[in-house]
Amino acid sequence: MTENASSVPDARHQIPLPAARRGRRKSLTAWLFITPAFLFYAAFVLVPLIMSLYYSFLRWDGIGEARFHGLTNYITVLTDSDLLQIIGNAFQLVLYFTIIPVGLGLAVASAIRGQMNGRFGMATRTILFLPQVIPLVAAGIAWSWMFASTGLVNQALKSVGLSSWVKGWLGDFVWALPAVGVIGAWVLLGLCTMLLVTGITKIDTSLYEAARLDGARPWHEFRYITLPGLRQEIGVCITVTVIAALASFDIVYISTQGGPGITTTVPGLEIYRLAFAHRQVGLASALAIVLMVLVLLSIAPVQWFTRDKK
Amino acid sequence: MNTPSRYALRILATLSVAASAGTAIAAPSCGTDPVVLNAYFETGFPLPTRLSEEFTKQFPNVTFDIKEDQFANMMENSPRILSEDNAPDLIRLPSLTDLVANNLLLNLDTYFTEFGWDKFPAGQLVQLRVEEGGRPRGTGSLFGMGLNYSMTGVFYNKALAEQIGMTEPPKTVAELDALLAKAKEAGIQPIMQWNKGTAGLAFPLQNLMGAYGPPEPINDWIFQKDGATINTPEALKAAEHLDGWIKAGYFPPDANAIEYFQMMSRFIGGEGLFMFNGDWESGNLDTNAKDKFGFFIMPSAEEGGRHASMSAPLSYGIGAKAANPDCAAFFLDWVATNEEARKINVAVGGSNPGGPADMAIPPVEPGSVTEQSLAAGAQLAQDNGAMDFIANATGAIFAAGWTPELQKMIGGQQTATGLLEAVQKEYETQLSR
Amino acid sequence: MKSATTNTLLARALIVLLMAITLLPFLSMLSAALAPAGSYPNGLQWPADPQWGNFVRAFEVAKMDQLLLSSGLIVLGVVPVAVLLATMAGYGLAKLTTDKYKWLYLAFVFGLTLPFEAVITPLYYEVRAMGLLNTRFAIILPLIGLYMPFGVYWMRAHFLNVPQDLSEAAQIDGATRWTEFWYVQVPLARPAIMSLTILLFLWTWNQFLLPVVLVQDPMQRTMAGALGAFQGQWGTDIPLLCAGSLLILTPTVVIFLIFQRQFVAALMQGAVKG
Repeated sequence: MTENASSVPDARHQIPLPAARRGRRKSLTAWLFITPAFLFYAAFVLVPLIMSLYYSFLRWDGIGEARFHGLTNYITVLTDSDLLQIIGNAFQLVLYFTIIPVGLGLAVASAIRGQMNGRFGMATRTILFLPQVIPLVAAGIAWSWMFASTGLVNQALKSVGLSSWVKGWLGDFVWALPAVGVIGAWVLLGLCTMLLVTGITKIDTSLYEAARLDGARPWHEFRYITLPGLRQEIGVCITVTVIAALASFDIVYISTQGGPGITTTVPGLEIYRLAFAHRQVGLASALAIVLMVLVLLSIAPVQWFTRDKK
Repeated sequence: MNTPSRYALRILATLSVAASAGTAIAAPSCGTDPVVLNAYFETGFPLPTRLSEEFTKQFPNVTFDIKEDQFANMMENSPRILSEDNAPDLIRLPSLTDLVANNLLLNLDTYFTEFGWDKFPAGQLVQLRVEEGGRPRGTGSLFGMGLNYSMTGVFYNKALAEQIGMTEPPKTVAELDALLAKAKEAGIQPIMQWNKGTAGLAFPLQNLMGAYGPPEPINDWIFQKDGATINTPEALKAAEHLDGWIKAGYFPPDANAIEYFQMMSRFIGGEGLFMFNGDWESGNLDTNAKDKFGFFIMPSAEEGGRHASMSAPLSYGIGAKAANPDCAAFFLDWVATNEEARKINVAVGGSNPGGPADMAIPPVEPGSVTEQSLAAGAQLAQDNGAMDFIANATGAIFAAGWTPELQKMIGGQQTATGLLEAVQKEYETQLSR
Repeated sequence: MKSATTNTLLARALIVLLMAITLLPFLSMLSAALAPAGSYPNGLQWPADPQWGNFVRAFEVAKMDQLLLSSGLIVLGVVPVAVLLATMAGYGLAKLTTDKYKWLYLAFVFGLTLPFEAVITPLYYEVRAMGLLNTRFAIILPLIGLYMPFGVYWMRAHFLNVPQDLSEAAQIDGATRWTEFWYVQVPLARPAIMSLTILLFLWTWNQFLLPVVLVQDPMQRTMAGALGAFQGQWGTDIPLLCAGSLLILTPTVVIFLIFQRQFVAALMQGAVKG
């Protein structure tokens, strides 16, 4: 399309300018439009990113003198059992942040398979979107209270006679991480559900009718019509939720501070602690770079599977 | 206190300062111009705020801009906050060494001379001294002052104690064990202890360490003396004993989900026979639950043995980049020497206010928890058994060592040996930086 | 649409369940917020004597008025600038550049999945070197930069869909690029700009990591950052904490309820395109 644009005659000049000069003028205007945004982007994203990379090769406490440390920080990140566990925690969170919202969203979408209109639809949208609007900090506080010893979860368990299940969820070695996962799932549930419900209305209903005439079972409809039809929306949900899980910070900071032990410590929290509390800026930066790469590596296949085939 | 005597006090305070400063130099003060002290206090403890209010009453030109945070956050934030331009004038210090090593704290040696803090018992300030470069601690220059000097011991619920027939505090660890077992049998929660956020199990652990061995090697470790280790046979015995308590079910099953203040509220609410905690709660218990609780010093292993317990100043320092260091130092001196401040200190805090050796501790109500904990403090001083807190050995040892490992231990995922090895390893890693 | 089959009934039941799960934490907070200050209430239990005064006290101790002002100032500092810059760059990348400049676009897009944690440490030292630590600018300036990948991506996608002849027509009329952009393109892009504004408003208001690291004073922070500080200071008092949290939530929820349609649309498109 850019070719078209450059062939547009400039109204102020009767004689068309030489193509090269026009091109130069145009790229100058383009730069004027793009540069301010790029400057901010460079100053507060690209430069810090390069600095992160630079710090990651240093041994530095953030105050005194820095020393070159080679790849030691990266080796530590990839071999230290605690740090590996912390990275593993983030991937475990993906299970909860992603599978619960996408699974429940698919269930609702394929059951309803239609537009949600009227007052009910509106109420649904409003309520399901609430967790998206509030700060994650608030979600963390609300759920810390839900999971507290005297909180609603334990209260509910007691009321149905499951007193033996009552526990301090966020302090339990087995249950703390799933509990944090539930908080994330709660936040992301509404968004995924609504995306999938909206997506399914775009699938041609005649496909379902034809399938029914062929005697297809509901499972087959789901497998061969719904899933492929929703590929793009599912991709979106997975992308958003995976990033939310791998880069989580707010929820963990508020609800568990990474405990008990390090069962709920995630890379985001550990970067913060290493850099500002334990004064290991180099190691923190190496972990930051590794986290960034892991996010990219996790998202790339999702994007590839769900977009390019269309 | 009525108004005229407050004026008298103010004059007295000024006089005592002037007197201790000698003749030639006037001691630093807050002057007469308006001063705003930038303060960073610990959430949930009213004492520093109450003291600051009284200070403003006596010196109306001084006001306080107070920020508060929970202890776990303070441990993580203080290096960063102290390194910034508007560093606090007064800051609650979770630990000293790293801050000194990074030149973030003001050296108080000149104030020591000017205010005449040499009249304080030297032992009071030992934990606040650090050698150049940050280690070892226990000698060298002064980098902090205590608002008061507290100790940990065991609080007990009087009604529950009566129920299991406890008539007097246990004199040996074995007697304590017997009481715990009795409580468990009677269906009473034997110990109420927090372990979320930071590890509350560090208190009983250190108390047991004090019962099983002398406090000196532990202090050496905390003060970062060369070659010191926490992995000693005595400490191992203590850790094993603690593990025994865990396995016997003496701690609440959800301890890892109980935060400090939840523990307090549950203990005051009658849940738990014992609670390992510091005498900074004595004033709180006297005010909010009069006559319901008592306090005893952790018994020694053998009857009549030496008592040793965690006892540390409620340490406050002055930022190296603070804007009003003189006024902050004057406040710290005032807290230790002003009669009214000392009264508030004991009534609200419940701990020994410290200060000059010849100043008496303000009287407390007979039979109160505060009376018992002050008596325990005297006993500890007599046995020379004070230890700093094992969590203060390095800036990050609590967050990166004791807390996760003790959380694991109570969750059944760490042994006594493993605990000490892991903490020692973390300690060495941190010292090697 | 067919009449209520078992399927739609099932779907409705499922949705009602999801709505209940979504709302329960809020209700549980409300019931705790009404319990006597300093007490340890039960999960969901309407107190016999609801302490509405807790909200008044929370408003005072949280200094809600100052918080609102601070968050408002930060939003005003971030959103208009970020939207303007993103719109300009989106237009420039969509309409004014050839494939030769694809790398520039890719450079922006690279930042889309970047976790903020990856740059927070150097940002701290950078902002400190600029002498902006503990000021609102410590949040405002970095946020504008951090929003550029999404903003530019979003606006470029919009401008790519604008038919080319529109911009040609404007040029034939003799308009310069700038006036064309300002008087023709921007008004036409209003829906896209509106959605971007809503998203950036929400993200700014709810931003937590930057204020926690870069600004100590809660009164200079965003709402989410202030809530973090509020939890630090009052987390020991559950009723007060819950009351304060609900208060701090209220402004966004109210704005959300008013602009419900636009918010939902923006969030869904934002997710799809992002």
